[in-house]
Amino acid sequence: MKHILLAAAFAAAMTGGAAAQTVRLGTEGAYAPWNFVNDAGEVDGFEIELGNELCVRAALECEWVVNEWDTIIPNLLAGNYDAIIAGMSITDERKETIDFSDNYYPPDPSKFAVAGDSAVDFDAMSGLKIGVQGATIQAAYAEATFGAGNTILSFETADQSIADLSAGNVDVVLADGGYLDPIVNASGGALKIAGPDVMIGGGVGAGLRKDDDELEGKLNAAIAAMKADGSLNELIVKWFDPPNTF
Amino acid sequence: MAGERESSVPPAHRDSDNGFWKTALSLGEPADRSHEGAQCGVRPLDWLIDIFGEDLGFWLGYLGNGKHLAWYASFRFTILAAIFGALIGLGFGLGGAGLLRARFRPLRIAGLAYANIVRGVPDVLFFLFFPLAFEQLVEWLISTQVCSPEAVAARAGSWPPCMEANWFLSTTEYLILASVSLGIVYGAFTANVINGAMNAVPKGQLEAARAYGFSRNQVFWRFQVRQMWIYALPGLSNVWMLLIKSTSLLSLLQIPDIVLWAERLGAPNFVPTAGLVHPDWRWRYYLVLFVFYIILTFLSERGFAWLRERVGRGVVAEG
Repeated sequence: MKHILLAAAFAAAMTGGAAAQTVRLGTEGAYAPWNFVNDAGEVDGFEIELGNELCVRAALECEWVVNEWDTIIPNLLAGNYDAIIAGMSITDERKETIDFSDNYYPPDPSKFAVAGDSAVDFDAMSGLKIGVQGATIQAAYAEATFGAGNTILSFETADQSIADLSAGNVDVVLADGGYLDPIVNASGGALKIAGPDVMIGGGVGAGLRKDDDELEGKLNAAIAAMKADGSLNELIVKWFDPPNTF
Repeated sequence: MAGERESSVPPAHRDSDNGFWKTALSLGEPADRSHEGAQCGVRPLDWLIDIFGEDLGFWLGYLGNGKHLAWYASFRFTILAAIFGALIGLGFGLGGAGLLRARFRPLRIAGLAYANIVRGVPDVLFFLFFPLAFEQLVEWLISTQVCSPEAVAARAGSWPPCMEANWFLSTTEYLILASVSLGIVYGAFTANVINGAMNAVPKGQLEAARAYGFSRNQVFWRFQVRQMWIYALPGLSNVWMLLIKSTSLLSLLQIPDIVLWAERLGAPNFVPTAGLVHPDWRWRYYLVLFVFYIILTFLSERGFAWLRERVGRGVVAEG
């Protein structure tokens, strides 16, 4: 009898949990202005505001989970959260393991940042130390393109790569333009953008588990609605300088 | 929101001779800092600024902002993990010592296996292994009840077998698992310490007690166990110190503990919208953790000295 009761309570807990389930959104919290922890100790940024708005429009109960970048895909698959909203570019390689929503940020050129007085010759890059954040599209690109004659250094967070650039430990940092621009602008000439823009990645979207078609549909509908009424562009203009709108 | 915080500049760095940061930081330098309190989550007390000048007010605002309050609050995870880890460890230690001293051979072998294997495995490894293995065991057990074969087939090769079987671990669950991990690891050390201490109680006293007519049970509890603590305490205080040190591993289990926050707060920040602009300050934050652990060690020493005196009361020390 006791067992049956326990089993019933257990089943009720499981199904009850499914009905009122909150959708957990995984983010890095260390990639301003996309996502970061603000002075109130809460996650904030373009994607946080966007994610909250998407949840409102899709009538979902949402909750943010902060997870380090290098384990952000494995922990999505393990079910620690249901979507990655962390400035993740849509790539074919990632699509082998996860699905993406439609992009909510257009394809953004990656840029090279160097010290203000640097004279790196981008036509003949060799013997350079190139800093990237590990497990990013830039890391894969740098490895494939410059790996032969240069040293590629992977950092846990993008900010660490900039810290090492400003300390002179690396010669070049390759990262998203939307991330680099405000930093270079704020550096007062200590850093500058140099060399060619590189187009990698197909825009930024929310990463989802492959079998989670329901959430994908809801998010896509909400993203489409925000694109249609211009509110997505408003958000982009609010958070990015210069903005890269649709 | 973005514009309001543009004046996040640490005053100490205004005259830094570090070239890049001088330029980087002077950019956002405010002409008038009277409104600055608003930008730091919690408003610094204006009267303090009047008395001590604006630099102190600035730092109060910085150290009192929500990010830092979250850091201070996260010390509770470390302290809770240490306390519960120690209690669980003591339980495992007493149990393990019981096994080690068992008359029945297989139990003794089980005790030996526990004490030696767990002591040999690096605590970091065990810390990563145990919660993960336990989580997957639970998920597997759930999956045998709730997963339909189709759902399992659809997710072939991935874990959990079906999403219904997913067990979400929040900070609370991780904290419990972390405490249990600490308990198991340091229980193995404790078992050894207690076993040794039991052996250290002079045989002559136990025999004398028997001769006076105390039963076996009474001799065990009133003489051996009672005096065992005196011999065990120095060893236990050592185990406690090791356990305290291991509490710095909590962030491995995604618990936003003091180490994780120190790393986050100390990480360089370049964009005024994201808070105070500063270079890599991690060592400063780690230094605070150093001091915290040193204070904890000092307090523990005092605590154990007091305990030793207490359990030693009324017992004639014997070499």
